[in-house]
Amino acid sequence: MSMSTRIRIQQQDFDLAEEYQLLRQSDSAVGAVVTFSGLVRDFELVSELGSELDRGVDRGVDRGVDRGVDRGVDRGVDRGVDRQDQSSTKNPIDLLSLQHYPGMTESLLETIVEQANQRWNLIATTVIHRVGDLVPKDQIVLVGVASQHRTDAFEAAQFLMDYLKTQATFWKSVRRNGEQQWVESKASDQQAAARWDGSDDK
Amino acid sequence: MINLLFFGRLGDFAKQVPATIEASTPAEIRQLLAADFPDLARELHQPQVLVSVNKMIVGWDQPLFDGGEVAFLPPVTGG
Repeated sequence: MSMSTRIRIQQQDFDLAEEYQLLRQSDSAVGAVVTFSGLVRDFELVSELGSELDRGVDRGVDRGVDRGVDRGVDRGVDRGVDRQDQSSTKNPIDLLSLQHYPGMTESLLETIVEQANQRWNLIATTVIHRVGDLVPKDQIVLVGVASQHRTDAFEAAQFLMDYLKTQATFWKSVRRNGEQQWVESKASDQQAAARWDGSDDK
Repeated sequence: MINLLFFGRLGDFAKQVPATIEASTPAEIRQLLAADFPDLARELHQPQVLVSVNKMIVGWDQPLFDGGEVAFLPPVTGG
């Protein structure tokens, strides 16, 4: 069975339903399709903007996974260290801009998809990442995986996102109150990617 | 000549840096930039900063050849 890969880096939006159909129709052996889409949040926690890596602080361990759902309201309370930041914790962004390294990003994404292919039995993979200026609720990224069985699709989708976030050459900046600020990398993303490093955690 | 690229926050420190330079390794580029752009050089010394030559991640001692493209990459934040 030949594996099909669709990698796109683009300014324009993507259509989740259309991408799902492409994966679904890619082969009659497809029994499972998993898609993940990442969106622009309306604000970032101040503590997320300060680099946890730079500070050598490892507080991100258990927060990364559900951060998108739990938007951080009130979360500062039980974080002694960050209390001084609480007043500005909820600070809406006006714009999120994504820069990338053309040429290098595409080849890194190909490498990441190839690694997923070696670890799981995949039939089709789609990675779409937007660049340029985005606003809250915009779609940023889509990862979609089609496989015969669900476990391969679930795990590969998570692996692809974890590796994309820590290896693909994209840089986010946000603008709030007219001021541009680069987003710092998160220790929790590094840890999420590191869990795939073992040889047989499949 | 070596073509220089600075991504993410490094770009903010490199606005006045010439687009090309003569150097034999990325480490030498960093050293040469320190004279006129000390803030940038300090950023380039951060251990999380990676360097690529012709779009491949390499070590700081990677030999450079005329026409090569050297990019300085802060930690990525896509997805």
